[in-house]
Amino acid sequence: MVVGGLAGALGAMLGIGGGIVLVPALVLGFGLPLEEAVPASLMCVVANSCAAAAGYVDNHLSDIRLGLTLELATVLGAIAGGLVAALIAPAMVAVVFGLFTLFVALQMILLRSPRREPATLDDYQPTNYPLGISGSFVAGGLSALLGVGGGPLKVPLMSYGMRVPFKVASATSNLMIGVTGAASVAAYALRGHLKLALVSPLVVGVLAGAYVGSRLMPKVPTAVLKKLFALVLLSVAGQMLWKGGAGLWPSVWE
Amino acid sequence: MAERVGVSEGDPDGAEPPRVSAAMSMSDPAVMGQNAMVATPAQAEAPELEAEPITEGLAEAPSQRVTRVRDRTLAGDRWIARVLRVGAVLSGGMFVLSLGLEALPGTETTHVAIDQLRKAAASLLLVTPVARLGVAGTLLGLRGEWRYAVIAAGVLGLLALAVGAGIQA
Repeated sequence: MVVGGLAGALGAMLGIGGGIVLVPALVLGFGLPLEEAVPASLMCVVANSCAAAAGYVDNHLSDIRLGLTLELATVLGAIAGGLVAALIAPAMVAVVFGLFTLFVALQMILLRSPRREPATLDDYQPTNYPLGISGSFVAGGLSALLGVGGGPLKVPLMSYGMRVPFKVASATSNLMIGVTGAASVAAYALRGHLKLALVSPLVVGVLAGAYVGSRLMPKVPTAVLKKLFALVLLSVAGQMLWKGGAGLWPSVWE
Repeated sequence: MAERVGVSEGDPDGAEPPRVSAAMSMSDPAVMGQNAMVATPAQAEAPELEAEPITEGLAEAPSQRVTRVRDRTLAGDRWIARVLRVGAVLSGGMFVLSLGLEALPGTETTHVAIDQLRKAAASLLLVTPVARLGVAGTLLGLRGEWRYAVIAAGVLGLLALAVGAGIQA
């Protein structure tokens, strides 16, 4: 429940769902097999999305129209990823994705963003929709190929690529990941991989953490959120490079 | 607005005017009045026109329309938030209840109740984001934003296809 709470708070604040914390914690900390940890983590992503997005939509932090548009591209990408999964070596994709997230994380840590965040969160207009839509398509494909949530890719995409304020990008990502997460959990549940006894305490912790995280996020300075996000990206990059390098993916995630 | 009006242009002494921000000029009636009285060169050269009679109903119509659209948008957002919150709270409550029942002596009835509660909680949690998508699409469609309503319907259709085909979306 404590691990769920931490994952929920972090996921709600950064728009990444929390799977990046939960899967390693469940596998390394509790010794659970990956095929049980992944659906449990995805269920927590759905819980996180529902609890956090409720607050963000109420506060008008989430951009519902942008979310819907990118959601369509993400789902299309996920279906395409699922269809070509047999043709591509996932280990290679993991390495490429790991290098990309490493690059984005280092850029966020080392370089100062030349763009100033708007003074109010209403004062923006998403730009560069072709980039956003194609990036979301890729994020959906990676989600299906590697089992990673789209948040770590979609938040920088919206924030840097589409000039959406970081907090709005994070809140919109939170709204989006629930739908794709629910579809993924449904696919796992139909195959009997969802263990509800494991999920119950995790979801309770995540719901509480997401509530706290969604209350904290509007008050935390954007610069702090960006640094936290960069650290999470570094962790994602490390996991991807390790998994891809070891060539573990086909045997573990299939 | 205050800077563009340029108080110095109308200042016969040519003294440096105090820098006034737009926010200050809107909030301070004295500053606003001062700015309103100073004419820019373009305004000074423009021919005088007879003031048009202001029809109150017509003058207020655009702002009323904007207010009405904003109110409908806010109401729509509240509905979406309500769907998400109800789903999260109810399923969370059922999961908490199932954890509470685990502390009771383990009878057959208790085990069945725990199992049923967890299945219902998990189902409710999975349905919530999909319901949110449906509500968002419906509300946007009712507002005349058909493009987003079609997108929401498309996402729902694709998700159904993905789950049916066993693809993890």
